Amino acid sequence: MDRRTFLRGMCYGGLATFALPAARFAQIPGRGKLVFVLLRGGFDGLAAVVPVGDPAYADTRGLMAFGAAELSTLTDGFGLAPGLAPLRPLWDQGELVALHAMAIPYRTRSHFDGQAILETGLGRPDGGSDGWLNRLLQVMGGERSGIAVAAGMPRSLLGVHPVTTWSPATLGVVDDAYLERLGVLYRADERLHDRFEAAVQMRETMPPMGGRPRAARGAMGPIMRATARFLSEPGGPNVAALEFSGWDTHANQGMAGGPLDRLLGGLAEGVLALRDELGPEWSETTVVIMTEFGRTARPNGTQGTDHGTAGAGFVIGPTVSRSAVVADWPGLGERALYEGRDLRPTLDTRAVLKGVVSGIFDLTSAQADRVFPGSEGVRGLVELMA
Amino acid sequence: MDNTLTALNRFGLGARMGERASVRDPRAWLRAQLEGRAPDPTGAPALREAVEALSTFLAAQRARDRERVVEARRAIGAHQARVLQAVFTERVTTDRPYVERLVAFWANHLCVSTAAGPPVAALAGHYERTVVRPHVLGRFEDMVLASAKHPAMLVYLDNARSVGPGSRAARQAARRGRERGLNENYARELLELHTLGVDGGYTQQDVEELARVLTGWTVAGLGPQTPGGEDITFAFQPAVHEPGAKTVLGVRYARAGLHQGEQVIRDLCAHPSTAAFVAEKLVRHFVSDTPPRRAVDRVALTFHKSGGDLRAVALELVELEEAWAPDSRKFRTPQDWLVAVLRALRADEAPEGLPRVLVQLRHTPWAPPSPKGWGDTESEWADPDSLMNRAELSRSLPRGPAATRLDPTGLLDVVDVAESDPLTALLSDSTIPRPERVSLAFGGPAFQWR
Repeated sequence: MDRRTFLRGMCYGGLATFALPAARFAQIPGRGKLVFVLLRGGFDGLAAVVPVGDPAYADTRGLMAFGAAELSTLTDGFGLAPGLAPLRPLWDQGELVALHAMAIPYRTRSHFDGQAILETGLGRPDGGSDGWLNRLLQVMGGERSGIAVAAGMPRSLLGVHPVTTWSPATLGVVDDAYLERLGVLYRADERLHDRFEAAVQMRETMPPMGGRPRAARGAMGPIMRATARFLSEPGGPNVAALEFSGWDTHANQGMAGGPLDRLLGGLAEGVLALRDELGPEWSETTVVIMTEFGRTARPNGTQGTDHGTAGAGFVIGPTVSRSAVVADWPGLGERALYEGRDLRPTLDTRAVLKGVVSGIFDLTSAQADRVFPGSEGVRGLVELMA
Repeated sequence: MDNTLTALNRFGLGARMGERASVRDPRAWLRAQLEGRAPDPTGAPALREAVEALSTFLAAQRARDRERVVEARRAIGAHQARVLQAVFTERVTTDRPYVERLVAFWANHLCVSTAAGPPVAALAGHYERTVVRPHVLGRFEDMVLASAKHPAMLVYLDNARSVGPGSRAARQAARRGRERGLNENYARELLELHTLGVDGGYTQQDVEELARVLTGWTVAGLGPQTPGGEDITFAFQPAVHEPGAKTVLGVRYARAGLHQGEQVIRDLCAHPSTAAFVAEKLVRHFVSDTPPRRAVDRVALTFHKSGGDLRAVALELVELEEAWAPDSRKFRTPQDWLVAVLRALRADEAPEGLPRVLVQLRHTPWAPPSPKGWGDTESEWADPDSLMNRAELSRSLPRGPAATRLDPTGLLDVVDVAESDPLTALLSDSTIPRPERVSLAFGGPAFQWR
């Protein structure tokens, strides 16, 4: 299989005439919902969307290589890891785009630089910048609001546009009488009273889940369900930021049923939980899953992988134009690898994000450029979206 | 705000019940705190413990002994917990809260993060003790130089791995077909976050040149070849250092070597951009989220004229009219808030579970999300979920017989509320159980500000 045939049917280069299903036009512009899921730690794209058809794959991955039979085949050459198999129905329904050989525009193997780049949407680290989701809220018109459903305020949502936060952690049991009295106190504080009201309101939408201190790891389903309930509230937010950690698999990554595969399974179940809980609202929802960097093509000495460069990601929802593996596949051969060790980046995360937000929120390309300053030269992959 | 409460809450770490009456002259009270050296709550034994725990970890890792690695990680965690306990107990009980606030400020300015891995996790307490505390009332350049040479910083921002492209080490690696080169991470943050500020007038070329200047600034005792058990310290390695003259910000530094980097750092600290950048950050911390120009200029001038004398700068902050303006207020960060609660209650130590609670409040000690450190403005901390977290935590704090005995109206001594504020009435409303009234004081809006 040479690179050209490998690309066939995967690249979006000439899809201008691709017919759109009529129903898509019925969508009301600006009513879309974006769920941005950040997998913190650098998740191993090569163990998720597996390039099993690459001639160098088996050699490169060695003992950590999957056999084709273990995978859920997507297109010629790519298969979903066993943990992600529950997403297969979404692929069949034309709702799953897998992105590969994708990377942030800045070359770093540092978690915090990588996350900062992905979350600020900039081309290089900039300590003080707003998050790109917040900039998106600043740029798009109409009713809009953002929520972080996470055990922390993700950098991506930070900025001048007010956003709200919710986490399942609870630090103490409170009753209504206490909250009412606090409400009286907060009404006397001009700066804070709206925010406290919002917090009480959210508590009504989503009663506390009980004292899980850190919901980050292994609790993707509940977080996704909570997100769905916020999004489907009348007048609810249209941008949600989620984050899950535990993807920094330096050692004992495992194969089918192993630690990483179980995490992937949790992610897949989480996406399905989001879809199910959203019900009819799913039709206008787009889920984007990304990570700060991919991991080394070859296993390291501890049955894991180290920080690498390009990796995989997903755009999921009925809003995508069709299921596809989008990749200008660079190959895994010795000479194809970036700096001799990592999957070479051929797709800029900003191209994907610009395409997605333009599609969901009807942004002009100038507006999309404002969401991602300095990305004027990066064309948004608008054809990803219906 | 009442001037005494401004001193106790804004400059200090929160008023203790009954403390207000004891402060006669708020400015003099603050000035007196700046006399003498900063306290050292962790002490030298903790320092040895950190190095030992880390050496054990590194030796276990080299030996690929998984069980010992796990054990050593646990020892590092236990060490970190002990040091944090000591540091937070100091914050909760100190009679020099202004100094502790300054320590926290500078530790955040030159932050490292324990999330960067075991070496930094083990050494973060050591870092605060040896980099920040000795210089918090001394000279800024001494603090920055100490930070530049501390193993925690050298590992956190990767300078320990940076190799001069023209160095002996790089040439040797090239002969063996390996590529070793510059890592500009630390050099960039030194310019952007520690000294000049992002608009301080440096270029990408300055970043790279500074990275070359700082090659060879590494850590002994961390490498894969070291047998383990030895000290973990700063080491200047000539073989890794980029030879030759370098030019940073238009100044040529002719002679390569350790001295070259020390001189560049001193010059960066003395640069007018540094004075302006640091002054703005200080005024943001002590005055307002939108620092008034006049106040920033005054602090910058004092910083510059005194050659970065941080005691002089701290005294200048006390003299700023803007800091005492009745309408100026700062939103308490989670650490500030929790420490203020404990101080109000006159706790005699930090509770053991405090770091865990701070994780839930999103303000994990010594683990800021980026080298920029924790944010310092209302917009970063006062989100709805955070207010609810504090309300919930407040409700669970007053427990046991002590809480029932506590007179809630005593809390009017630590928060600044007008007679007409509903809190005044609620605190003396005997139909509400006493512990709940205490909770209302801590969970309500007045206590969120300093």
